[in-house]
Amino acid sequence: MTTRQVRGRMRRMRERFEEAEEEHIEINLVPYMDIVTNIIIFLLASVVNQVPLGTVNVSSPTFGGAGGDGQPDKPALNLTVTVGGTGFTLAGSGGVMPPIPKLPTGDYDYGALTAKLAEIKKEFSEETKATFNADAVTSYEIVVKTLDAMRTYKDEKDQQEKQLFPDIVFAAGIL
Amino acid sequence: MANENPKLAAMQAARLAGKKAIRSYARKLADPEDIKDLNITPMMDMMTIILVFLLKSFTSSATLVNMDQNLSLPPSQTRLAAKQAVPVTITKRVLLVEGEAVAPITNGRIDPQLKRDGDNGYYITPLVEMLSKVARREKKVAEVTGQKFDGELTIIADRNTPYRLLTEILYSCGQAEYANFRLLVLKSRE
Repeated sequence: MTTRQVRGRMRRMRERFEEAEEEHIEINLVPYMDIVTNIIIFLLASVVNQVPLGTVNVSSPTFGGAGGDGQPDKPALNLTVTVGGTGFTLAGSGGVMPPIPKLPTGDYDYGALTAKLAEIKKEFSEETKATFNADAVTSYEIVVKTLDAMRTYKDEKDQQEKQLFPDIVFAAGIL
Repeated sequence: MANENPKLAAMQAARLAGKKAIRSYARKLADPEDIKDLNITPMMDMMTIILVFLLKSFTSSATLVNMDQNLSLPPSQTRLAAKQAVPVTITKRVLLVEGEAVAPITNGRIDPQLKRDGDNGYYITPLVEMLSKVARREKKVAEVTGQKFDGELTIIADRNTPYRLLTEILYSCGQAEYANFRLLVLKSRE
């Protein structure tokens, strides 16, 4: 076998091999991978930077007939918490309680409000409704903090969070 | 003969060497030492699954809020998670329903001309009109899907919004049959 014959055979073999390779063409997935990787990085960054959001449920006032709960002897509490310029005012069916003044720092005393509401809750353990009212200039941040103070409290005995008055209704009209 | 034998032997040796070279070349072609292409199909599968998962978790977030200098949510200790509902956004400059501007806000007040009863009124006409349209649409959807129209709104308000403005907006929402509100807040454990 001469060198020319060997080279000829090798050339034909290479040609056949290349033809066979060309028949098995695969789609080039690299650009798709680039796109997918970029989207994943973007989405991961968005998910990581997401701020935890929650909600506070409140209702508009509704009107309906009294009674119908089978307990006519039990007086309704009709608790109303009002945020004024000088502090909180609590009122119920029995009358108006002494106001809870602001702290010397000028902040509202949310702790005192929660403590007072916890006392009331002990007397009216079944009651979950309360009405909220505020000054026209009270900021939304103070409204939300007051609603927080009205909803739950931490029991000192068993250190557990307990419900106060979670069904809060905004009063019809403002001060 | 003596001359032919060495020639024959040389030819045979050359043929054998040629065959050996061809076999060696065939082996080289069939079994390349270096890997030309990495099989990325399993990686693609994995990436696509991650992408679908992330897209799903991204879009299933109940509410997406773009906070800026005109909209800063107040913190709260609530544990209730945000739920999908019609969003009413109150920024320092504008009132929006489902991202669409309804009325401008100047110094925490709505323009009295946009209120039915003037400066002291609570009824914000464009807000009631807009929410009435939304309520009609929601009722149709509820009817088709066999669900109950719950009249729920998500209130996304700036932390400095005065209570007077908030009350006006909640009153107007009530006029459009929306009486249950979810105040959107930032969860904190202070």
